[in-house]
Amino acid sequence: MSPSSTTKTSSSSVSDRKVIFDHPTVSSSETLVELQDVSLRFVTYHDKQYSLKRSALDLILKREVPPVSNEFWALSNVSLKMKKGERIGFFGFNGAGKSTLLRLLARIYKPTMGRLMVKGSVAPLIEMGAGFNPELSGFDNILLNGAMLGIKPRDMRKKVEGIYEFTGLREFADLPLKYYSSGMYARLAFAIATEVEPEILLIDEALGAGDIIFADRARDRLNQLLSKSNLVVVVSHDLYSLLNMCTRGIWMHEGKVRADAPISEAITRYMEFTQAIDAKNAAAAAIKDMANKV
Amino acid sequence: MKNVRSVPSIPHAEYFPQPPRANPLARGLSILVNDARELLNFWPVLQNMVVLDLRIRYHRSVLGFLWTLINPILMMCTLTAVFSQFQPGSWKQYAIFLFAGQVPWGLFAGILNECSQSIIGNEGLIRKIYLPKLIFPLARVFTNLTTCVFSLVALYLVVWLLGPQFTPAMILLPVAIALFAIFGLGLGLILAVMNTFFRDTTHVVGVVLQAWYFATPILYDVRNMSPRAQALCWYNPAFPFIRIFQQIIRDGQWPDLTLFLAAAGIATVSLGIGYVTFKHNEDKLVFRL
Repeated sequence: MSPSSTTKTSSSSVSDRKVIFDHPTVSSSETLVELQDVSLRFVTYHDKQYSLKRSALDLILKREVPPVSNEFWALSNVSLKMKKGERIGFFGFNGAGKSTLLRLLARIYKPTMGRLMVKGSVAPLIEMGAGFNPELSGFDNILLNGAMLGIKPRDMRKKVEGIYEFTGLREFADLPLKYYSSGMYARLAFAIATEVEPEILLIDEALGAGDIIFADRARDRLNQLLSKSNLVVVVSHDLYSLLNMCTRGIWMHEGKVRADAPISEAITRYMEFTQAIDAKNAAAAAIKDMANKV
Repeated sequence: MKNVRSVPSIPHAEYFPQPPRANPLARGLSILVNDARELLNFWPVLQNMVVLDLRIRYHRSVLGFLWTLINPILMMCTLTAVFSQFQPGSWKQYAIFLFAGQVPWGLFAGILNECSQSIIGNEGLIRKIYLPKLIFPLARVFTNLTTCVFSLVALYLVVWLLGPQFTPAMILLPVAIALFAIFGLGLGLILAVMNTFFRDTTHVVGVVLQAWYFATPILYDVRNMSPRAQALCWYNPAFPFIRIFQQIIRDGQWPDLTLFLAAAGIATVSLGIGYVTFKHNEDKLVFRL
């Protein structure tokens, strides 16, 4: 895992600027999300199909049950409280558990240990277009996807116009989704995902959303959504965006919370850390270089 | 536009996992209530899935939905043509008899087959978005129920020409169908979990279903069997269900109370075990996909 590749570009842009922190301090009110000592274990099996044959043999020969090849804690002992009105940015190296945490909040994973409390409706902008069916028309997919996000078809029909408006896909409404270009597909997914009016908004920049989120029109729409939600949780490698968008920063490192502070402070600490690592790497490279020369 | 915010506007705190309760009965009850509420919330998704599934099934075929009707008719013709040779009595009677057993078995086999695929087949969804997992097997059950009802009606119209009369006992048909579907759902839930853990299950299910089909008096009449063989039939959990259908459709009688109680009992036990198995493993499924 090399952290430098992903963080370098953004870190330089932040360090160039003086850190300005001008968000209104939000009065701490109701807790909407609470994680108590949450841990999540992933088990990867050698072959996912732990076969009937093998388990039968295991049983008969009284062998040790599955040789668990790989288990690691994607999150360990994370305790957090997220309050109404907060805009929280998660950052850290790849594999630090940021996206996993988001999926946990979206209820895709359940904690292995500890407890999670979520109050209110959650809109995940994590994997957009997850429920799309390529055989169905754009219109049908809008209704289906809406239903999966908790919107009744009746209400979703009212939103269809708005979605066509934003995506410009009205004339393709009856076309099966498999004939859509990937750009059209992404636009539609994004438009549907942002039609919900969530209390808690989860955004994962690293997955799927990518370029579309940062197109101008999409950004406007996203900003509207941000202002409407009670709680926003963003995962990103783009520290500059986080600095603008968020009030609170959480630095995840190897499945643990390494820093939890106002966004500027958290980012500063994270950058000191990455710079230290960069320096160490540079020093190591230099020493190696010298050793080679000698 | 008053109802735009369809998501519950009163924040409802949800806990994962549920707070532990000392009393296992209270715990079980809270799980049940929770599931009921979730299914209610996600009912439109289930509806959508069923409708879409039905639509996609016959998508682009010229006859479309008619296949639900034509297919069983053709199947029945073939079976009647072949097996009536080995049966006493007229082929017409045999056709009606066959119809009484074949259609419900189609429902049952369909439910088991598709339920066992329901979790694996929706891997893309399960890994990306939260939906109550029960939705997937349930959707398959409803899809099969719909096709079953259609083919039942269509076939009945055909068979009607051969002479069975409408009888008051037929009002029990929906109950019989529901019971058989519940039995199927219970087993289907177990299979869905098993198949996710052991992918070999798919292959076993096909073979076992075939064997089960022949072991159940669908092609042949129990009444022509030796008393010993008839007694053996009672060890076959699918037997009471099929027998109920045969009594209602072929004989035009009210089914025996014993049969009905047996069927209801088997369905309940199956659903109970299936549900507990499913809930117990529900959260592990994501990691096994």
